[in-house]
Amino acid sequence: MSARPAKVIVHEVSVAFDSHGRRLAALDRISLTVAAGEFLCIVGPSGSGKSTLLRVLAGLQRQDAGEVRIEAGRPGAPLTAMVFQEHALLPWRSVLDNVAFGLENRGVPRAEREARAREMLALVGLTPFARHYPHQLSGGMKQRVGIARALANDPEVLLMDEPLASLDAQTRLLMQEELLRIWASLGKTVIYVTHSLEEALLLGDRVVLLTARPGRVSQIFPVDLGRPRGLEIRASQEYGALLEKVWSQLREEVVRVMWEARGADAP
Amino acid sequence: MTAVAVPLALLALWEAASRLGALSPRYFPPPTAIGATLAGGLGGDVGAELSVTFARLGLAFALAAVPAVPLGLLMGMFRPVRAAVDPYIALLFPVPKIALLPFLMILLGVGEPAFVLTGAISAFFQITISTQAGVQTMDPRLLDVGRNYGARGLTLFRKVILPAALPSIFTGLRLGVGLALVAVVAVEFITAKSGLGHLVHRHWQMLLPTEMFAAFALIGALGLLVTRGLRALQRRALAWQESTDPL
Amino acid sequence: MSRRGAPWAAVVSPVLLLLVWEWASASGVLREALFPRPTTVAATLARLVADGTLASHTLTTLGRIAWAFATAGVLGIAVGLAMGVWRRFSQGVDPVFAVIYPIPSVLFLPLVGFLVPAGEVAVVATTAVTSFFLVAYTTAHGVRQMDRLVMDAAVHFGARGWRLFAGVLLPGALPFVFTGLRLGLGYALIVVIAVEIVGATTGLGAFLWLSWQVLKVDDMYATFVVIAALGAVLSYGLAALRARLLPWIQDVAQ
Repeated sequence: MSARPAKVIVHEVSVAFDSHGRRLAALDRISLTVAAGEFLCIVGPSGSGKSTLLRVLAGLQRQDAGEVRIEAGRPGAPLTAMVFQEHALLPWRSVLDNVAFGLENRGVPRAEREARAREMLALVGLTPFARHYPHQLSGGMKQRVGIARALANDPEVLLMDEPLASLDAQTRLLMQEELLRIWASLGKTVIYVTHSLEEALLLGDRVVLLTARPGRVSQIFPVDLGRPRGLEIRASQEYGALLEKVWSQLREEVVRVMWEARGADAP
Repeated sequence: MTAVAVPLALLALWEAASRLGALSPRYFPPPTAIGATLAGGLGGDVGAELSVTFARLGLAFALAAVPAVPLGLLMGMFRPVRAAVDPYIALLFPVPKIALLPFLMILLGVGEPAFVLTGAISAFFQITISTQAGVQTMDPRLLDVGRNYGARGLTLFRKVILPAALPSIFTGLRLGVGLALVAVVAVEFITAKSGLGHLVHRHWQMLLPTEMFAAFALIGALGLLVTRGLRALQRRALAWQESTDPL
Repeated sequence: MSRRGAPWAAVVSPVLLLLVWEWASASGVLREALFPRPTTVAATLARLVADGTLASHTLTTLGRIAWAFATAGVLGIAVGLAMGVWRRFSQGVDPVFAVIYPIPSVLFLPLVGFLVPAGEVAVVATTAVTSFFLVAYTTAHGVRQMDRLVMDAAVHFGARGWRLFAGVLLPGALPFVFTGLRLGLGYALIVVIAVEIVGATTGLGAFLWLSWQVLKVDDMYATFVVIAALGAVLSYGLAALRARLLPWIQDVAQ
């Protein structure tokens, strides 16, 4: 793992929000490194700042302290592209135009960007739906369009914010399989935020555990389950053992959040 | 089916009551008579009156929409603009716009400008408010998408904010045109010398209820046409929406 | 996303405007005959209040609104509930509403005048018409949008008839009823002013029109201030009341 060059370096990043007149720390001195081509999963209880970290990486949120560096390998390529929870597609554009959105904003000419968009649509298996509108698609399909959109933009780093959270359990399983396949063929650097430990261990090369608010790095677990992977890995002993190990760590933090919510920041 | 049956039944009831004298036919002439008058052109130049009202409506609507939409957009996007303009909207919105008519008439004389402006002001507030709401209630993540995928400033506005606000803007325009029509016809009724509202007034004064009802029907028809027309336009232009609100 | 700025911020701009107006009118930049100074208007207002003119007109108008609103409210809620509960009823009534809706209420004055002796009753009745439609429509919508799941659960747990109606349906539709009432009240004011212009000799609308006809501009402005104040009170007063009574409800826009 250390043989690969660092793609993303997060150094002592802290973020705080104003909420009801008080400063709420979301992230507290987060440091981590992501290697090129690595699939990194970030797991944590609610409020641990997982999404905030992603937004900082995406350039949508300014950190209050610390540094973020993304190694740009290719000139002109966008540093990040994000896959949002609940797709966040532009409802007034066709599927194809949604996928081509990032390319369009970078001034890529129409023929080229449409070709590239179609390529990505084929990758996620949605070729016949190029001219459809988001409201005509199912949840799982919309999510795949979101993934295609991010991929089409050809970023240095792919950011995914609980992309499968809004799907039903069955679709979710299928999508996990899809993700494994797509990632195996493209080899992108991915930072993937999820609530689900099972998902994190299934998909990731490493799992970062965040504490409850304010989010700090609790521990980082390597996932030595071999590549390429499929869903069948979930039946293996190694997977089960790893799940137990990581969950016992995570559990503490989740319980802490549960009790905190009762304490209430009374309105 | 009930949608057609009930009004027809009501009309039939009216017809019977009027002919039999249960409803005084002097004040409530039978619908058939009203229909005949309509067909005969109300004994006057109905076409002209209709076009006058329609023209006033069109002008009032344009005068309202052209400033209102940009203002609403600016208010939705920039807090300082909102803070500056909000107090005036809040103060003036609940005021009956018809109360502005006398003031407009002193300033502009008793004539078209005052009439049209009253209609315009009626629509203006609604359109501004709806447009502003369209911007403020848009899915904020779409802004994230825009920024993450390279759209900034004017591009972000053109490709994300404006389309997202469009449904609300359209609704505001629809409501606005309805308000403008009501205001214009009311003004015609109260003080103008032409237009459908005036027609109602004239026939009232001349005690010609048949003609009066006919004029009512025309106003209702005009209103229905205009709002339905706009709604159809909205459905066409915003085909990507799942449904248009029922109003 | 937006936060109501501190109240003082909302006041500063209009106050500044008034100051500018005062100066402009006094110095002749604005024709004082058409744009009297705010101080003059204030003085006129004081005078008209003192001699009872405005008070009596305001009370007259308020009385009419009260009567109209009460009638429209009661009938509107009743019909609205019926429309919401019985699909057939609503299907039959909808087209009638649709045709009548674009006609300004004030135009119904002649019609009402045919049915009812001219005078106060006609004025009040005409004012009640649009309010009635608004209340009925919003109430019906409120009933129809009630969460099916909540209703089914209630029925499942044994709620029937009156208990279902009063204990589940009504509270569920309440926010919309309130919105309808608020809209109805606002429109009542609008219509009553218009009706007073055409068909009455007393009331704020009539007084405004009369002042215009004799070109007493100061009186016009003073009356306008009262009308605007009335509008604000009715509109925001009800909202504040609703916030007090039904604190869990957010504003349901139509």
